[in-house]
Amino acid sequence: MNRTLTKITLVLVLGLLSACTSAPKKDLALERVRGELDNLKSNPELAGYAPMAVGEAERALRKAEMASGDDLYRSYLVYMADRRIQIARTMAEREQHEQALDVLEKQYSEMLIKASQLEADYARKDAEQARLLVATTAEEAQRAREEKEQAQQNEAESARAAQSSAEEAEQARRLAESRASEAEYARLEADLASQQITSLTRQLENLQLRETESGVVVTLGDVLFASGQTTLVEGGRSSLEEVVDLLQTEPDKKIRVEGHTDSRGDADANLLLSEQRARAVLEALVSLGVASDRISALGMGEDFPIASNEDEDGRARNRRVDVILLDN
Amino acid sequence: MKPILIALICLTFTACTTVRPDPAVLESAEQAIQAAEAAGGDEFAPVEMRFAREKLESAKKGMQKEKYVVAVYLAEESEINSELAIEKSRTAKSRRRVNELRKSNEELNARLRATFGDEFK
Repeated sequence: MNRTLTKITLVLVLGLLSACTSAPKKDLALERVRGELDNLKSNPELAGYAPMAVGEAERALRKAEMASGDDLYRSYLVYMADRRIQIARTMAEREQHEQALDVLEKQYSEMLIKASQLEADYARKDAEQARLLVATTAEEAQRAREEKEQAQQNEAESARAAQSSAEEAEQARRLAESRASEAEYARLEADLASQQITSLTRQLENLQLRETESGVVVTLGDVLFASGQTTLVEGGRSSLEEVVDLLQTEPDKKIRVEGHTDSRGDADANLLLSEQRARAVLEALVSLGVASDRISALGMGEDFPIASNEDEDGRARNRRVDVILLDN
Repeated sequence: MKPILIALICLTFTACTTVRPDPAVLESAEQAIQAAEAAGGDEFAPVEMRFAREKLESAKKGMQKEKYVVAVYLAEESEINSELAIEKSRTAKSRRRVNELRKSNEELNARLRATFGDEFK
């Protein structure tokens, strides 16, 4: 009796130990984060930008990879590394924008300069034509005198043309400068607008958000569809507006719409129902302005419950549409 | 057997209730949220703002329950979300400026083409 007890204790202790040392799920998370950093570093458009932030992300990730000890500490380090990578990516994007801005500003003033040159060319051609006309119709003596006059006029005119071309170049410069201050105003306005935008946050508080391995998930509860139906209820479309506001804050991310049902009824019928509902939500989101090439819909049927199917409360939670902002 | 048990219990407790951390950890996360708000985080990075606020709330609760280690982790996770929100807001603004300028260049180009025809470019 006593011996069996010792054996059971031993097995229990071993079990506890193995629970601490082997943690394959954490490693998956770490691998995913490592993949994200590699992705950023090999992205042809972003590689080489924001080197300091990328270095910081790299250090955070190493720290997570080297960490031993409890799961809590390690998942905290993985989380921090993930955010550092996102910060680096965001900064790299911004540096890329700044470079694009330089190029665009240069193109703008080049266009203005080119236009003023063309205008000066036209003025010269007009003067030439006028001179020919006068030359062929006037009397000889008259013509001689007029030619002299014309020549003088021409000189003056080309001087003026040169003058006006210089002025136009100057104008182009001034325009370029005023553009810069316009950009400054736009920035100030954006700052002011953002201070007044807290109402948007208040709206977002009504949405159910959670972070998962694949990205941020917005769960649309059991209110969009009537039982067994695949078209949105009246008012369902307008309740999606705040979801669209949120989706548009991440214009580069792909979106997946997943339909889920509870476990009542035939599984195949549930799969079909969930797919049609996901598609209805997709269409509503597209009609509210989400670009159709970044969004896809998928029916998941009854196989991915988030609550028990044993009681009505749980079943209601399982009947849902998840809108996922995919990380990559 | 007994000493091992006691050692185990002690270990479990120290993991949760070490010394009370510097309250500056929470203050710093709080300030980061304010900075992110000023940068336009609520408009441009609402997801991160929400995580920053939720994690700070949880950190405060953890502090009250004397779960200091978890509380510190949560405060730092809150702060880094604010930091990300600031970066995202700035990048959203620069993206907008690029789009505006690209559009005005296209408009100018079209206008000049209409005036000068094929001679322009």
